[in-house]
Amino acid sequence: MRYDTARLSDFSVLRGEEKKDGVDQIFLILVLILLSCGVIMVLSASFPRASYDPAHVTGGNAAYYFIRQLIFAAAGVGAMLLCSRFPMGFYRRYARHFMALTLLLLALVPFIGVKANGSRRWLGVGSLTLQPSELAKLAVILLFAAMICRRRGRMRSFREGIAPFALILAVIVGLLVLEPHFSASIIILAIGAAMIFLGGAPLGWFAAAFGAAGAALGILLVFFPYASTRVSTWRDPFSSSSNEGYQIVQSLYTIGSGGLGGVGLGASRQKYLYLPEEHNDFIFSVLCEELGFLGAALVLLLFALLILRGYQIALHCRDPFSFLVTAGITTLLALQVFLNVAVVTNLLPCTGISLPLFSYGGTALILQLAEMGIVLSASREIEAV
Amino acid sequence: MANNNWKNAPGIGMLRRTLFLMAVCGIVSFVLLLGRLYRLQITEHEKYESLAISQQLREAGGSPVRGEICDRNGFPLAVSASVDNVYLSPVEIASNGEDKDLIADRLSEILGIPREEIREKASRKGSWYVTVARKVERETAQRVREFKNECGIRGVRLETDTKRYYPNATLCCHLIGFVGTDNSGLEGIEAQYNAFLEGSAGKTLREVNAYGAELLFEKYAEHVAGTRGCDLVTTIDSTIQYYIEKHLKQAVVDYDVRNGAGAIAMDVDTGAILAMASLGNYDPNDFLAVSEQDQAAVDAAASPEEAAGLLRAFQQRQWRNKALSDTYEPGSTFKIITLSMALDCGAVGMNDAFYCPGQVSVLGRSSPIRCWKDGGHGSQTLTQAVQHSCNAAFVNIGLRVGAERFYEYCDAFGFLRLTDDPDENLSARTGIDLAGESGSIWWSRNTFCSKRNLSQLAAASFGQTFTITPLQLVTAVSACVNGGRLMRPYVVSEIRAPDGTTLVRREPELVRRVISEETSRKVRGILEQVVGDPNEGTGRNASVAGYRIGGKTGTSEKVSLEAATGEKQYIVSFIGFAPADDPKIALLVFLDTPSTETGIYISGGQMAAPLVGKMLTDILPYLGVRPFYSEAEKANMDAVMPHTVGKSLGEAGELIRGAGLRYRTLGEGDAVTAQLPAAYCEIARGTEVILYLGAEMSNEKESVPNLIGMRYNDARDTLSRLGIYIHSLSAVLDGESQCVGTQSLREGALAAHGSVIEVSLLSSDDEMLGRY
Repeated sequence: MRYDTARLSDFSVLRGEEKKDGVDQIFLILVLILLSCGVIMVLSASFPRASYDPAHVTGGNAAYYFIRQLIFAAAGVGAMLLCSRFPMGFYRRYARHFMALTLLLLALVPFIGVKANGSRRWLGVGSLTLQPSELAKLAVILLFAAMICRRRGRMRSFREGIAPFALILAVIVGLLVLEPHFSASIIILAIGAAMIFLGGAPLGWFAAAFGAAGAALGILLVFFPYASTRVSTWRDPFSSSSNEGYQIVQSLYTIGSGGLGGVGLGASRQKYLYLPEEHNDFIFSVLCEELGFLGAALVLLLFALLILRGYQIALHCRDPFSFLVTAGITTLLALQVFLNVAVVTNLLPCTGISLPLFSYGGTALILQLAEMGIVLSASREIEAV
Repeated sequence: MANNNWKNAPGIGMLRRTLFLMAVCGIVSFVLLLGRLYRLQITEHEKYESLAISQQLREAGGSPVRGEICDRNGFPLAVSASVDNVYLSPVEIASNGEDKDLIADRLSEILGIPREEIREKASRKGSWYVTVARKVERETAQRVREFKNECGIRGVRLETDTKRYYPNATLCCHLIGFVGTDNSGLEGIEAQYNAFLEGSAGKTLREVNAYGAELLFEKYAEHVAGTRGCDLVTTIDSTIQYYIEKHLKQAVVDYDVRNGAGAIAMDVDTGAILAMASLGNYDPNDFLAVSEQDQAAVDAAASPEEAAGLLRAFQQRQWRNKALSDTYEPGSTFKIITLSMALDCGAVGMNDAFYCPGQVSVLGRSSPIRCWKDGGHGSQTLTQAVQHSCNAAFVNIGLRVGAERFYEYCDAFGFLRLTDDPDENLSARTGIDLAGESGSIWWSRNTFCSKRNLSQLAAASFGQTFTITPLQLVTAVSACVNGGRLMRPYVVSEIRAPDGTTLVRREPELVRRVISEETSRKVRGILEQVVGDPNEGTGRNASVAGYRIGGKTGTSEKVSLEAATGEKQYIVSFIGFAPADDPKIALLVFLDTPSTETGIYISGGQMAAPLVGKMLTDILPYLGVRPFYSEAEKANMDAVMPHTVGKSLGEAGELIRGAGLRYRTLGEGDAVTAQLPAAYCEIARGTEVILYLGAEMSNEKESVPNLIGMRYNDARDTLSRLGIYIHSLSAVLDGESQCVGTQSLREGALAAHGSVIEVSLLSSDDEMLGRY
């Protein structure tokens, strides 16, 4: 394979670090610990719903979601190890192809996607489904990293540093709006912005972008009652605790019930169909109830360590592409963790964002682990940290 | 911005930006999240935990058994029994795929509810609980259970509930009250003592999932035992209540009373309510149902809204306890109070004389006050003034008492409560342990006690220009005749815990002494002359043979109504007490708006007095008061028909003559083969009965003639010629001078031979006709 790893950055020369052999052990272990916690939490959170089976999905098999998640996790770990084997040059070379494939799939979704809860977000047949929006997140990171590398030194101009990126984001978000998939749009915009930010785009443009986003949000709130309802539900969920606010109120009950030490693993009451999406977007609430503030803080600490480690790996990358991809994936991870926990604690208005490595779901889990694998691949190229 | 001129490695600017992102995403965001979690899980933990628990726990359990209410002899007035509520769980019906048509068909058949209604309820989406029938009797519920088991239906459910039963139906309904579907008391004792009666429900706390089903593994359940409500022993005597309601109902028919009637019987010494009746009444078992007549009016209403409004009004009217909630001008019955205060404060003496010229001028009044008797009563003693119910004399008596003292006595008797504000209209209540008691209305002290205008005092002396409740009057009159002690009226004498031990025993409560023992004795003596004197007493129609009765009549015109509409309406009343020398019971009866079309003169003396007489005739023997008959009473009282069948004519004739009766014979024989009337019937003395000496008895029926206004002896003879007999419920003092006031069978009704028509008697003295 044609990839070049021997060049040293100024920094690594300064520090005199040695090139290490193999992947970053700390990052790998943190991922595996969090993944294990996640799979166990899926078992705990999902068995009442799986057992009662109100939606006629599981056939009353209490371990239904757990076993499937276990298979996803195994597949995901395989994907992670595989991805960690590919050199970074491989990702750089195929970034454009990957994006093209993603766009194709995204374009297909509005036509042949599987419909659920009023949106078409999945592609696939039967139980084999794929959420192209998950692919899009990774595609943006890889493509933007590659584009930034090619535009090195020209990022400060609008023409080079903003316009092409904005165009790509606009296409993707446009396709997502057709599904519609609001939360994925937000994340892709955010991760896209983070990539350009890391790539050196002028800060003034970010100020302008934030201003435009604020104005757009304002218009949205004024003209779309759906959005303003969301905000009022966010401000006071208890005023509509039996309809719009039900989910968030139940989440607050769940989290608050945990107290300092929690009610004990497996002993959640709220998962008995009170809390919707308890093994999915709201799995962290169940964790808070069962393991309490201490358990939740521990899991958040593990996430924080993983994220800090991810940035640390990025900082040690000698190759700009590796650096950008690692930092991008880490930022994506941090963004998803923050948004998920902020939503379930009602720090932010409710929207569907899953918790990486925890929430039930095949596409997301396998892709997240694959992303971790890419970070691991990058970690191979650097000196011992 | 820093150096972006990089070849292959990340530049310093990139690294700076990365450090910034690292700080934001790796540290700041987590600090924010931890702060938020700390607030939710530590600071607000208890709030959210209790909210969560309240939705996770399901309380199950039947309603508590409500305590019983019994009368003073232990007869049940209100009891509770276990019943079932039938409900559907449409979600389960749907999820188990149960046959809605089958459910609708069978439940409709068992419960008698329209099939479509059940079908609709069974089809409701997302519902776990839809009530189909409430308070279903045991046997019916059992049939529902059998259907459930037989067809394996899980979506039809039963839950236990309790139902209140009032075994005596309408009897005493206003005192007892009733309970709503949730078993909480809405009226009467049921409402007033609800906290004691209701008990607490037994319950089971279970943890459930969001659909109300049990959790999978954890089975937490906490059982709390329920407690039965307390039982109440009341002062009510259902027998007395029955007598009073029976005669009161008859009076409403006899006098065509338009606006209801009421009665209160009080234990004079204790203030205990022995009976309290208010008509029209209702059946507390079905308290929403109105009388047929009212229902007809509802059915005839033009619109549904009007019908609903009418129904509500009729319901409110029938639930109203007139004896407690109505206020009225008492009229002449109040003269007892004026008399008592005047004697007590020495304003009048037993030997004072009063002259009645037929009217009396009062300072501050443009026209003189007229006595009810045109031409006046002339010169009278104090006793005669009361016997005559002379308004002129009582104006004088009131003036002698003086306004200030009059008000102070009224305060002492509980008619009003004096306040510091001399311009405030005054009011008071007795404080009985029943909800819904109204308060009296009196002029302010400044108006009443004006030195320049005595008209208020003058009118109040004979019971006008203020309104009080019937209960206040009975309570005060009891004090006048019981030795001067004003007692607090009450209906519940004992509260018993479910285990039968006494929780609270209510002792009679002396409010205050109002008049002296000596005054009370004089008042009793004078009031006995009102009833007992067959020549002068305006209350003579209330007399009961063998008993000493005291009392006073009252006829009050609805003055404000007349001023507004010009229509004359009266409330006629009588308050009696017996025995007059040592009273045990005080009995007030009032009839609101008797019809002018019955031909009976509308006054307390002609309508309410004989009614009280009839009631006391039943009540006094029941109370164990022994009668002592005077010679005159013995000579006039009704006779008992002897048993003569099978006896020889000679023997039978002896028996009949000995009983104070006469006879004629039908047929030719020596032995009596049949008799009219049957043996042991009570019939008027001197009645000619029929002895059959082999002749056939006729099965024909006779049309009852109009007896009202006829002398008792004439009525007796008119009827006996038809083979019908007469019995007086009133005391027969003189069959030649008393006339029939009411008859139990109306004119034109068909009566079999040998029937006995019950009548009440009125004095035929024309002097008696007046509004007093």
